[in-house]
Amino acid sequence: MLDMHSVPQQQPQGRQFNPYTENGGTILAIAGADFSVIAGDTRQSEGYSIQTRYAPKVFRLTDKAVLAVNGFAADGNMFVKKVRQRLEWYRHAHAKDMPIRAIARLIQTMLYARRFFPYYVYNILGGIEEDGTGAVYSFDPVGSYERETCRAAGAAQSLVQPFLDNQIYFKNQTPAAGTSFPSHLPLSTVLSLVIDSFTSATERHIEVGDGLEMYVVLARESTALQGVEGIGGVQEITMTEEGHRVFVIRRELKKD
Amino acid sequence: METSFALTGKGYVIIAADTTAARSIVKMKVDADKIKVLSPHLLMSYSGEPGDTIQFAEYVERNIRLYQIRNLYALTPSAAASWIRRSLAESLRSRNPYAVNLLVGGYDTTSHQPHLYWIDYLGTMTEIPFGAHGYGSYFALSLLDRYHDPEASLEEGLSTLKRCINEVAKRLVVSPDRYTVKVVDKDGVREVEL
Amino acid sequence: MNSLAEKYSTTSPLSKLRKAQQLAEDEELSDAMWGSSAGFGSLAKGIPSFTVAPVPDPAAFLRLHTDDHADPNCRIKIQHGTTTLAFRYKGGVIVAVDSRATAGSYVASGTVKKVIEINPYLLGTMAGGAADCQYWETYLGMHCRLHELRNRERISVSAASKYLSNLVYSYKGMGLSMGTMICGWDKTGPCIFYVDSDGTRLKGDLFSVGSGSTFAYGVLDQGYHWDLTDEEAQELGRRSIYAAGHRDAFSGNTCNLYHVKQDGWHFIGNYDLSKLHYEGPNNVAGQGYGYDVRTEGRTSANPPPAATATA
Repeated sequence: MLDMHSVPQQQPQGRQFNPYTENGGTILAIAGADFSVIAGDTRQSEGYSIQTRYAPKVFRLTDKAVLAVNGFAADGNMFVKKVRQRLEWYRHAHAKDMPIRAIARLIQTMLYARRFFPYYVYNILGGIEEDGTGAVYSFDPVGSYERETCRAAGAAQSLVQPFLDNQIYFKNQTPAAGTSFPSHLPLSTVLSLVIDSFTSATERHIEVGDGLEMYVVLARESTALQGVEGIGGVQEITMTEEGHRVFVIRRELKKD
Repeated sequence: METSFALTGKGYVIIAADTTAARSIVKMKVDADKIKVLSPHLLMSYSGEPGDTIQFAEYVERNIRLYQIRNLYALTPSAAASWIRRSLAESLRSRNPYAVNLLVGGYDTTSHQPHLYWIDYLGTMTEIPFGAHGYGSYFALSLLDRYHDPEASLEEGLSTLKRCINEVAKRLVVSPDRYTVKVVDKDGVREVEL
Repeated sequence: MNSLAEKYSTTSPLSKLRKAQQLAEDEELSDAMWGSSAGFGSLAKGIPSFTVAPVPDPAAFLRLHTDDHADPNCRIKIQHGTTTLAFRYKGGVIVAVDSRATAGSYVASGTVKKVIEINPYLLGTMAGGAADCQYWETYLGMHCRLHELRNRERISVSAASKYLSNLVYSYKGMGLSMGTMICGWDKTGPCIFYVDSDGTRLKGDLFSVGSGSTFAYGVLDQGYHWDLTDEEAQELGRRSIYAAGHRDAFSGNTCNLYHVKQDGWHFIGNYDLSKLHYEGPNNVAGQGYGYDVRTEGRTSANPPPAATATA
C-alpha cells in the first residue's frame, strides 16, 4: 500500500514555454531573365533524427508564384496554408491572381502581424513579375524583404550562398579581356547550378539530403525550355490558361 | 573613461594619454601622468586595471634601465616592445595577471625610424602607424585612417592629435578633459603642451 | 502589489498586449481580410493588430527567442548591424548608409536598401530591426499620404517624425528595435529628425546611427561645416560610410547615397566599399580612400642628410 505521506509533495512547476524547433533542410531560388527556379530538399529532421525523407518545402501558390519555406516545419506549413487562403480570397474578390510583388508585400504584413510571437520561418518567394521578368523575394522571420537575383536559406545557406555569389553574380571573378559576364543565365545553366548546390550541400551538411524538388516558373513567351529537353522527371503543374507555366522537377539526393 | 592615442610622423612618435585616475564614479586625481619614459628614446603609455598599471609600468621601467646599466646601451624600440609583450604574456599565464594596455613608442637611433607598438593586456602586439586604447579609439581610428600622414611634420602631427582629442571631447559621454602629450624623436623624449 | 496594479492599469505593456490580442481576434473575422487590403485594411480602425504569445510575460518570451545579444544560440536571428548617417547643410540634406545585414556573424545580405523612400520628399533610414524599420516607415508613408489628402498640403518632417515617434513609443517595452532618421525638405527648409524605439525624437543638423556610427562620426565631424558645396557634402557622406565599413565588422559591402533638395530627394549612387578603398568614387586606381593607398610610398623614417650621403 502506498502511504500518502511518502509521495513527495507536488509543487506547482513553472515550465518555459518553447513552441519552436528547427527542422533542417535548405531552400534556394534563382531568377532568370524570363523564368525563376525555386528549389528545396525534402528531408525533415529534428536534432540527429530524420523524421521523414519526403516533406515538401516548396509550394506552388499561383501560376506565377512559388513559395519556399524553411525553418520550423509546423510554422512553415501553417504559414503557407494562410497565404494560400488569402490568395484565394483575393481571387474571389478580383477574379485574377495576385501579382507577385503584391504577394511579397502580403507576406511581409502577415509575418509582421506576428512580430511579437514570430513564425520561425525563412521564406523565399519566386516567380514572374507583371513585366514578365523572373523575380526572387527573400524574407526574414518577421517580414523584412528584398528583391534579389538569387538567395539560399536554411541549414546550408552558408555553404550554398557563397557558391551562388561566385557562379551567379560572378563575385571574385574577372572577365577575360574584351568580354563581360552575362546578367542573366540560361535555364539549363541555372538548373545544373541548383543540382550541384544541393548535391554538395548533401555531402557536407547532415540536415540536407533525401530528395530535391525544383519548381520552374516560365513567363508566357519564354523559350527557356529549349535546351533543357535532356533533363528527366519534368512534370507540368500549370493550373490556368493564362500563359505562365509551372513545372516541377524531382530528383534523388543521397540518403545517408 | 581612460583614453590614449599615439601616432608616428616624419622622424617622431607622439603619445597622448588622459590625466584622470578614477575609482568607481570618482576622479581621484586629475593630473596623473600615465606615460613613462623608459629610456632616452622610448615612451610607454599604460592604462587598465588600477594598481596593475603602475606596478607593471614600474617593473618595465626598472628592467629596461637594468638592461642599459648592464650592457651600456639601450634596447631598440622593437626589442623593448618584444620584451614588454613577453612579460605581459607570461603574466597572463600566472595566478595573478596584469590587466594593462600599452602603447610603446620609440625612435630607433640606428635606423632613424620611429616605431610604435600597440599592445593589449592579452599580450597581443602589432606595429602600427597610429593607434589608440579605450573608448576614444572608436572615434579616433577612422579619423586617423582619414588624416594621418607618415611624413607629417611635428606641427602637423600635433594638429592631427588635436583633431582626435576634440572629436572625443565632442562625442564621448564621459570624455577626459586633459591629456599629457609626449614626443620622442632623434633628440630624445620631451613633453609638449597642446 | 505591482501585478495587481498592472492587471487593472490600461497603459502597462501587459495590458497593451492584451488589448492587441483582443484586436487580433476581432481581426480574424473582419471583412478587411477578404479584399486586396492585405492586412493594412484595418487602417480605419487605427493601428494594425498583432498576435502575442499566450504566456504571462510575452515580451520576455520574445526576448528569449530573438535576442542574439543575450543568447547567440537563440533561433530567430533578427538582422542587425549598420552604419547610417544624415546631415543638413546649406545645399540640403545628405543621407548615406551601408548595405550589410548580419545575422550573428553571417553576412545575411550585402544589398540591403537601408534608405526607405517614404514619399518623394521624405526619406527614412534603417538601423536596428530591418523588419521594424521597413514596416513602420512604409506605414508612416501611408499616413503621410492620408495627411496630404485630408489637409491639401504635404506633411512637415516634424509632424511625420512625431507620428512615427508616438507610434513606436506606444509599443515601448515590447521589443521593437529601431534607430532611424527621418529626413526631408518642407516649408521650413531641409530637416532631419532622429527617432528611435525608446521614444527619443531629436531635431538636429548631423546624426549617425548604428554599430559603425562612432567611426562615421570621426570622419564626419572633422569634415563638416554648413557651407559645404554639393560635391564636398556628397564626398563627406560617402567617405564617412567608407570609414565605418572599414573599421566596423558589422558594416560594409556598399554605400547608398541620397541628396535631398527643395524638389525632393535624388538618388546619387551606389558605391562598392572595396572599390572606394582602392579606386575611390571615380574608379581611378591609386585615388582610393584606403590608408595604405593614400599613403603609398610615404615613410616616417627620417635619416639625417649625412647618413643618406654615406649610404
